[in-house]
Amino acid sequence: MPLRHRIFSLCRNLFRRPRVERDLDEEVGAYLEQLTEENAAAGMSRGEARRAALMELGGVTQVKEEVRRVRAGHMMEDFLQDLRFGARALLRRPGFAAAAALALALGIGANTAMFSVAYGILLRPLPYPDAARVALVCMRFSPQNFDFGTMCVADFLDWQAQNHAFEEPSAWSSRRMDLAGAGEPEQVSGSGVTAGFFSTLQVRPVLGRGFLPGADRPGSAAEAVLSESLWRRRFGASPGVLGQTISVNGGAATIVGVMPGAFHFPRASTELWVNVQLNPPARRGPFFLRGVARLKPGVTLEQAQAETNAIGRRIMQENPYYQRLTLPVTSLRESMVGNVRPALLALMGAVGLVLAIAVVNVANLMLARATVREREMALRASLGAGRGRLVRQLLTESVLLAVAGGAAGLALAWGAIRLLRAWNPGNLPLIESVRLDGGALAFTLLISLLTGILFGLAPALHYARADLHGTLKEGGRAGGAGRAGGRTRAALVVAEIALSLMLLAGAGLLLRSLLRLQRVTGGFAARPRAILIVPVSPTDRKYDKAEPTIAYYDQVLERARHVPGVQSAALSDSLPPDNQSDADTFMIQGQTLAPGELNPAVSDALISADFFRTMRVPLLRGRHFTEHDRSDSHPVAMVSDSFARHFLPGRDPIGRYIKQSGPTNDVPYMEVVGVVGDVKYTGLQKDTDAAYYMPYRQNYGRRMFLVVRSSGSAAGLAQALRREIQAIDPGVTLDRASTMETALARAVAQPRFDTMLLALFAGIALLLAAVGIYGVMAWSVARRTHEIGVRMALGAGQASVLVMVIRQSAALALMGIGMGLAGALVLTRWLAALLFGISATDPLTFAAVALGLLGVALVAGFIPAHRATRISPAAALRCE
Amino acid sequence: MNTPARPTSLLQGTLDLLILKTLALEEMHGLGISHRIAQITKSTFQVKPGSLFPALHRMEEAGWLASRWGESESNRRAKYYRLTAAGRRQFLAETREWEKISLAMTHALESI
Repeated sequence: MPLRHRIFSLCRNLFRRPRVERDLDEEVGAYLEQLTEENAAAGMSRGEARRAALMELGGVTQVKEEVRRVRAGHMMEDFLQDLRFGARALLRRPGFAAAAALALALGIGANTAMFSVAYGILLRPLPYPDAARVALVCMRFSPQNFDFGTMCVADFLDWQAQNHAFEEPSAWSSRRMDLAGAGEPEQVSGSGVTAGFFSTLQVRPVLGRGFLPGADRPGSAAEAVLSESLWRRRFGASPGVLGQTISVNGGAATIVGVMPGAFHFPRASTELWVNVQLNPPARRGPFFLRGVARLKPGVTLEQAQAETNAIGRRIMQENPYYQRLTLPVTSLRESMVGNVRPALLALMGAVGLVLAIAVVNVANLMLARATVREREMALRASLGAGRGRLVRQLLTESVLLAVAGGAAGLALAWGAIRLLRAWNPGNLPLIESVRLDGGALAFTLLISLLTGILFGLAPALHYARADLHGTLKEGGRAGGAGRAGGRTRAALVVAEIALSLMLLAGAGLLLRSLLRLQRVTGGFAARPRAILIVPVSPTDRKYDKAEPTIAYYDQVLERARHVPGVQSAALSDSLPPDNQSDADTFMIQGQTLAPGELNPAVSDALISADFFRTMRVPLLRGRHFTEHDRSDSHPVAMVSDSFARHFLPGRDPIGRYIKQSGPTNDVPYMEVVGVVGDVKYTGLQKDTDAAYYMPYRQNYGRRMFLVVRSSGSAAGLAQALRREIQAIDPGVTLDRASTMETALARAVAQPRFDTMLLALFAGIALLLAAVGIYGVMAWSVARRTHEIGVRMALGAGQASVLVMVIRQSAALALMGIGMGLAGALVLTRWLAALLFGISATDPLTFAAVALGLLGVALVAGFIPAHRATRISPAAALRCE
Repeated sequence: MNTPARPTSLLQGTLDLLILKTLALEEMHGLGISHRIAQITKSTFQVKPGSLFPALHRMEEAGWLASRWGESESNRRAKYYRLTAAGRRQFLAETREWEKISLAMTHALESI
């Protein structure tokens, strides 16, 4: 059996190698002896006989090498030998190996970390069974143009009645909930859900049950389901919580179940679910529900979308109030991560560039070493190593280096991911599913091998082209191959500079965009550090009516003003930069609207008289609200500058009349008494600044923010304020106080995170590029020592030598910058979605980045240039 | 530096067949094989050690040859090769194949 023989031979060759080798030695030796003897017998002298025998044999080493090549397993054997040799070669130059491995570790580590983040957030299956079939159904209509808009009870019931695509349409409504009973009252993130909510998501409680069918019918008992975190924190993880009664938003609810710790829906922070009661609607609105449902088997997202579109058209026909109504169907993942996808993809692209730069850099280092090793290679070739064998040996060496870099990169990535998860600076969704796993390991191994082959190709090709015989004869002086190597290295540096420029341009754009975003003030002039915000939420039944609530808030204001350190105190139910409590349409007296037409919904806020003074929002016309604007006085309103310009143009807005909501809303018209500067309530990036304001005493608002301005830092006032307000009514929930500074920081957290990471990557790229330029210039100067010496001996001054060398690095830099600018113009287009207030091809950013990079290139080139000027002509000529 | 050209498969097959033929009669050491091939091909084929040894080792790994250490005519240690049963079968198969090819080649060349 030939196969049996082969396997036997393979085992023998691999495991009994010394014996096999000894055998071969003896065999060739015996052959030589026999031949010598024959020659001697033919009449040659002993010495002649031996020389003739050696000639005939053609080199003992070569013959043995030929035999080894036909042996079974010689590839593997060669590989192991290459590996040992490569490791020794790398360890002989630890500085080189460490520099190369570090560059690779940075490149590979950044890639592994970003891969894990992107995979965890964008691709890893969600922690719900068959989550790919779960979709969200929102509602969008004019004039309420929200991407993930809400529907009213009537819309939901229409959808439920006409649905065929989904198994069980369910809905939820997220809100802060005041939780009392069993401990101090607190506010938690909660959600009112329909009966089918949990079964749609197919999540099983760890304790008790979810909501039963029919739990969303009018008049059904109020029940509550806890998250595992809330259950542990507030109820000590006691199994006895089932059946216990708690107070939710002032009403009693019975705890029926506890959800598992991995269940975070609809928000990551949701800790409490209660059953909503779908009371038969009298009208369309209020809008507070979003749909969630599971696709029936065989139904696609597109088919479901087609069906909800048809349902939307029917709802629109029956209700002229809606215009351009759609029910957008979004996959569960898209709804969770859709807004971070562009940033993650951009960052993935950025780390790809970093890795490319690292590869180019290491290829450069390898090439530099290749020229040094030409003699060694020539020697190995003359001793019988084939060209293919040499190339394989070099590739083994570079892959070994890449794998070492990859291992270090893996450690870096592991640390980076832990840091990221603990810190989560960008408020990334699904961050808990980001981890280093088998997929990431496979990814790291793959890119390590690929990079190893990529940067190993440069020196391998170098030898493949080189005339190694000539090298040996020349005694190792760099010949033609050196020159070609120089060109390759210059090209690599140009590529490196071009890649760095692209990254720097991206980072520069994000940085300028972030700076602009941070300059957006939100419309107020008060120092953010000086503003303290306390969310106040009176839940007790007695605050169901307006008068006691207003009276309570009067007291809150009164007491807050007297807390030492408070300069000014006010109330508002909406706050910049992104805390809009309500958006509603409005009517202008004397305006004629076509049937079904409505003014757009804008921010409407309830405020106390001092709100604009506390926040330092400028009064442009008219007056502020005063203590005299009470429930029994003439109804008044204030409007923002944008509101006045858009909706009350031409005439003086003061003295005109507006009213809240649409034509059917039965509320009195309010006289506009003042116009104030625009304030942002829907995020710093948005420019929806139109708003109208109503005095809290002429309306009823239960939840308000107490806003105080202090003389110094406001954070220290929190304790005292809290004590004062608690004293009025201990049953009122006070959520954690925070400064405006914190709120602003949170609003720019995601852009700041993107920018920081991209800037970090660009910084690594810049460093690698600078090292690359320095390396090539230093090498070039070393090679030209003789030439420079001759020039100086012939009278060239130090300055002209300096200029000559610097001109060379400037030429490389300019070429790289030109190519990089072209690439950046193409690539930054992908960043457009992340930019605020500047274009993706912002000329200023591009110019600054190009100049900066040129500067770095010149500095990196200056050091070797300076060294060149100190070459002593005599020494340079001697070194020949 | 040029590595020695790899023998074409035809030449490699020829060498294999010559070695098989040589060993079909009796056990032989490397130098003996080399001399015998020169002799039976009237010195058309001068097999150098650089080709002979790899061929012997390859054929031994294929299971066609077996080897042992023995004493040469001049009482020196030498490695002797002989055909195995598989080697004998291979010899017959390659002989038939060679006859076919050589017949075909002769026809082809005569027909021009």
